[in-house]
Amino acid sequence: MSLILDGVGKRFITKHRVVHTLENVTLEINQGEFLCLLGPSGCGKSTLLNIAAGLEKPTTGKVYFKEKEITEAGPDRAVMFQEAALFPWLNVIDNVEFAMRMSGMPKKERKEKALQVLKMVHLTEFQDSFIHELSGGMRQRVALARALTMNADLLLMDEPFAALDSQSKNILQMELQQIWWDTKKTIIFVTHDVKEAVLLADRVIVMAANPGRIKKEIKVQLARPRCLESLDTVYVEAQIMRELKNEVEKVAKAEYDSDWDLEKDTILLGPDHYLGIGL
Amino acid sequence: MVYELGVKYLKVWQPNGFPSPINIAKTLEILLVDHTLGIAVLTSIMRLAIGYGISLVFGFLFALIMLRFKALQENLSPLLLGLQTLPNVCWVPLAVLWFGLRESTIIFVVVIGSTFAITLAVESGVKNVKSIYLRAAQTMGAKGLKTYQDVALPAALPEIINGMKQGWAFAWRGLISGEMLMQVKGLGEILIVGKEKADINQIMAIMVVIIVLGLMVNKLVFERVEANIRYRWGLD
Repeated sequence: MSLILDGVGKRFITKHRVVHTLENVTLEINQGEFLCLLGPSGCGKSTLLNIAAGLEKPTTGKVYFKEKEITEAGPDRAVMFQEAALFPWLNVIDNVEFAMRMSGMPKKERKEKALQVLKMVHLTEFQDSFIHELSGGMRQRVALARALTMNADLLLMDEPFAALDSQSKNILQMELQQIWWDTKKTIIFVTHDVKEAVLLADRVIVMAANPGRIKKEIKVQLARPRCLESLDTVYVEAQIMRELKNEVEKVAKAEYDSDWDLEKDTILLGPDHYLGIGL
Repeated sequence: MVYELGVKYLKVWQPNGFPSPINIAKTLEILLVDHTLGIAVLTSIMRLAIGYGISLVFGFLFALIMLRFKALQENLSPLLLGLQTLPNVCWVPLAVLWFGLRESTIIFVVVIGSTFAITLAVESGVKNVKSIYLRAAQTMGAKGLKTYQDVALPAALPEIINGMKQGWAFAWRGLISGEMLMQVKGLGEILIVGKEKADINQIMAIMVVIIVLGLMVNKLVFERVEANIRYRWGLD
């Protein structure tokens, strides 16, 4: 057992009301497992990840990593954010070396290791570039490389590909699958993209909002390497979509007027609509 | 040429109020030949270097202490802002009473003028650092002073450089006003002697020297650092 969340809850107290972002989440993650947290926006999946990272403290419950309670952020758990969070005053290789520099590794070893991981993400040619010279996809690959240098068994990823264009996203998903396969790290991956979850995860945790909680746990028992186009992934996707639909609708309802309904808005009724006229 | 036009043909300027560039150059030459200028520039620059160096150390130190203790920050920030509006010259009488007519008096005026500009810049720069950088650094095992040294200060550097430039300008002001009022060797002294001799050429010559020195330091130091930052951050 790598990471254990035991009855984790989180409340935010704002000026007007108390928001239950998470309520009583209990979850166990196995060593070497690829777990996806899937849910609509506002269901607290990022909060849950931050709690596991030690960046936020749970209001109730406890989190254990390798039998030890988590109280603060530390280099034994690597984190990747939606924005790459690379340092603009350092070039690529110095960015990748940063975590190792913090742990006091000698210069020569650092450089060797950094080049080795840059090779894994295919960016050795850009080692002397500065961050603003890289595309979004390349930045996330540098961030991944940086996370891999830390020798952390657990990799926490908070929608790392959400801001990328779909081509770079696909490439990165494939690369991540391969890297996970090679390094055998435990990965917790937050996403709102069902396709992504099915492609990558061993186990998908579907979350519900208001308050944030686990709704359903789905094992994705498909052969690897998986690819987006194959029928079996699409089948599992549809299955998860059904679970998720109610949740999405519930969250959306809170944001729309009360007369709004998902069903009604998806079908065009009436003879004036000329369905199929463009065929 | 503009000068010749103004004085000789349009007669808008009086030659004894607006010296010709040629006369200024001649005065400069005289001052250079009898070594007054060289010695004055060197002593002034020495004072400036010592004073500004001390300001940098104290400026950063104060800022770090204020960042560490929130209560101090809330109470001291308005006070420092207030001190900033106080012109350097105001410190001269006080400094004379404290230290007497000595070298340390001028350096005190230089330091008190530029320290707070640096403190305020470092403090607000670090406070404005994007929290994602600090969070990322935390997850990579950065703690305590290391976070400041390797993340917060480099991230705040663009703002800090601005404060250092401001501090530099204030240091110059403190220096010249100190030298002028105390009449010890230095650029300010030559300036005040020029006034006493009613020698407009000498006054203008020293003003030119001060401007040129200021520009040189800006060009050689601050502009280079800024260009480097802009290049790294991709701001060009």
